[in-house]
Amino acid sequence: MPPTEGDRPAGGWSSRSVGSNWQHRFFYLLIRLGGRPVAYGFLRLVILYYTLLRPDQRSKGLYYLRRRFPAARGLELLRHSFRHNLALGQVLIDRAIVGILGPGELQVNFPAGPRLKEILAAGRGLILMTAHVGCWQVAMAALDDLETPVHLLMKREPGDVDRLYFEHGSGERPIHIIDPEGEFGGALEMIAVLKRGEVLSVMGDRLLGSDRNGVAVDFLGAPVTFPFSAYKLASATGAPIAVLLSRKVGPAAYALELAREISVPPGLGRGGEGFRPYAAELAAGLEAFARDNPYQFFNFFDMWSAPPPAAASNPTDTP
Amino acid sequence: MEITEQLKKILVEELNLEDVSPEEIADDTPLFGEGLGLDSLDAVELVVLVQKHFGVEIKDMDEGRPALQSVATLAAFIAERRSK
Repeated sequence: MPPTEGDRPAGGWSSRSVGSNWQHRFFYLLIRLGGRPVAYGFLRLVILYYTLLRPDQRSKGLYYLRRRFPAARGLELLRHSFRHNLALGQVLIDRAIVGILGPGELQVNFPAGPRLKEILAAGRGLILMTAHVGCWQVAMAALDDLETPVHLLMKREPGDVDRLYFEHGSGERPIHIIDPEGEFGGALEMIAVLKRGEVLSVMGDRLLGSDRNGVAVDFLGAPVTFPFSAYKLASATGAPIAVLLSRKVGPAAYALELAREISVPPGLGRGGEGFRPYAAELAAGLEAFARDNPYQFFNFFDMWSAPPPAAASNPTDTP
Repeated sequence: MEITEQLKKILVEELNLEDVSPEEIADDTPLFGEGLGLDSLDAVELVVLVQKHFGVEIKDMDEGRPALQSVATLAAFIAERRSK
């Protein structure tokens, strides 16, 4: 959850989108003119350039890749880096395709839909926890199936040039955005959403601001700091948490899978310690995801170092 | 017990405020930021606690903004809602 006045971002990392405005617009144009094949084809050249000639950009993914492939060195690590960056580029293109050409351009397999409807029928709302894996925005586009309003806790930064999928058109926004830097960090809005039995979507794998709202859990062999605010919200309101992860399973196909259902009891205290087991559940789910989909984990900063990244809850720089 | 005193006790005991006792909290001390230093996570808990202990719901920002300024404003909000 967002900071109030007492919390200020720490560290120098910024989640501002990679690439300039014209570079993004160029790819939007390619999509309009030639669709996915042309955009994907040009992307390979761009990624090759970044992988071979831009070590500053390549290094951002190496924090994760070195943990995921601890034995990889030299050319092998370079190959992993190429595939990792290519996967990111492809899902960014897919995201733009959904916005520009429509959701029908991608096939999304969403077997968890009926189960999520069951949970919502209990009337306590639903905290939908996602992470920076696969293409979370494609996942959001598929949530229409739930026939329930969806609210997304999200911070935009000045300088973001990348668009969310629904910002490519001029139609009504399908998702209501809650600003984590609003009054009381959007807390009252979030409680109201859950009381109305609606869906609140949050990112569970990045901390916003200081580590005050974070708790250390093991991930890929060493501790990282994950936020515990969603678990506290669940504990206070009785809302269940569903961890929903998306992954690309084909050139134009995604799967949206229910990785975990987490129920948090009340009365776990003010600090993060009581919520650690629940954050650890998410970490375990993400570790399993990274094991099965090594190139679809998109946190491009050193999660294993302290302090945590500043303003890192902004999801617009990733799919 | 008066609502203000009850609120102070709830703040200290149920939000686990350290280094402060209910008697040390002035009625007009700001709840967030400087004052008691509550954060957005505490706001969640406080809203739920107010409903649990007083049966009063803080529904949205329009209600929450003025009510959550201090113990005094919150107590006044609770008293007003209970009298309806």
